[in-house]
Amino acid sequence: MARPHIEPYVELDAPFKKFDLNGFKGSHYKVLSLDTDTGACTLKVRFDGGFKRKAGMSYSDMEFFVLNGGVKVGNEVWGEGHYAFVPAGQHLGAMSVPKGAEALVMFNDSEPSFVESDRNHQLALTESFNSFNAYNDAPWGPGNLVSPSVATGVGIKILHYDVLTQAITFLYYMSPEFQQNNISYHDCAEESYHIWGASWMMQFGDLPTGGYFWRPPYIDHGAFKCKLGCIAVGRTDSKLHNYFHFNPWANPDENKMRAAAHLYRQRPQLYEWAASDGHNHPHGPPDFEHQHYHDDAQVRHLHNHAPVGVKEGTQKAPKKKSRR
Amino acid sequence: MAQRVQDKKPKRNKTAQAWMDENVAEQKIRHRAIVKEMEELEPKRKKWIRDFLKTIQTRGFNVDGDLLRKIPKAEIPKEPKRKHRVVW
Repeated sequence: MARPHIEPYVELDAPFKKFDLNGFKGSHYKVLSLDTDTGACTLKVRFDGGFKRKAGMSYSDMEFFVLNGGVKVGNEVWGEGHYAFVPAGQHLGAMSVPKGAEALVMFNDSEPSFVESDRNHQLALTESFNSFNAYNDAPWGPGNLVSPSVATGVGIKILHYDVLTQAITFLYYMSPEFQQNNISYHDCAEESYHIWGASWMMQFGDLPTGGYFWRPPYIDHGAFKCKLGCIAVGRTDSKLHNYFHFNPWANPDENKMRAAAHLYRQRPQLYEWAASDGHNHPHGPPDFEHQHYHDDAQVRHLHNHAPVGVKEGTQKAPKKKSRR
Repeated sequence: MAQRVQDKKPKRNKTAQAWMDENVAEQKIRHRAIVKEMEELEPKRKKWIRDFLKTIQTRGFNVDGDLLRKIPKAEIPKEPKRKHRVVW
């Protein structure tokens, strides 16, 4: 299975744990959610003053959002609100934390990994690297990115966009006295961490500062309210479509059938083709524009397939063999 | 076939596997606690649902953005007999 439904989880009262994996020794972490197979995870990490790490790279795409404090990375200083998307294999400069910092750190493909290196991996997709201050260097836009859309009173800043899957990472706010009287679900998994402020959903009650969720596809959420305003980091793992309805008791299977019914009505030719005999492509049909999309780590992850080169179900540590 | 950096990741070592095992086990406990907490919220949720069903008949249901539609009573769904779950 992938990540379980973690909602709501308020991490503020949970203790940090010593982070003893290579590249993180000297820091502390909390797991917000974890893929039980691949190890992909969202962590809150505390870097105490004096933390240092040499330059290096990870075998997983990594996203980094500074909640407070400052982190020196190579020649850059990542202050409060700084966001970075670091593709797998992208070399990051030496890291040092003079006075302490807390950050959300997301490994999208596997458990946290780090190897010392002074250069990029030869296969690194470095063009997707992005590093900027989300508070200062990106404009707020209206929440109606997609249609049907959220009600007025939600603002969004896009931090990262995956062109193949349309997965997005974004900063969002809800204004004081925001309300939206519908129930929503999506085809994608959705994740959020409340940096400040509280919002309310009819299923889960209040989500305060430090509140978090990882919500798998087709799970109902809403109606929505926000009394005093809130600001949060959000992510999806693929294209977000808002399926709105008003049945408070619908379950994920019913929601999935309703989503398929949308496809049946709105893209009938595609539905017929995909559902007909002989078109069962377990790794996806050919795409002349993106010929190698089957190998993309994010696409494979969405279909519960191990990365290329790794046999399915063989990601556990091998038994130690005798050298003789 | 295109190769990615992720494909070159060495097999998970013992330390990383121990980290996984520990955190997967803790996540199971956390998930159970969330399920319990959400089940205990059901009496309050029943009231929230009543309020919601009333609001969409009076103020309106958000069809798209700020577009509201008042839902006629005949369209209001009936509660099924099965147990209501919100965490899956």
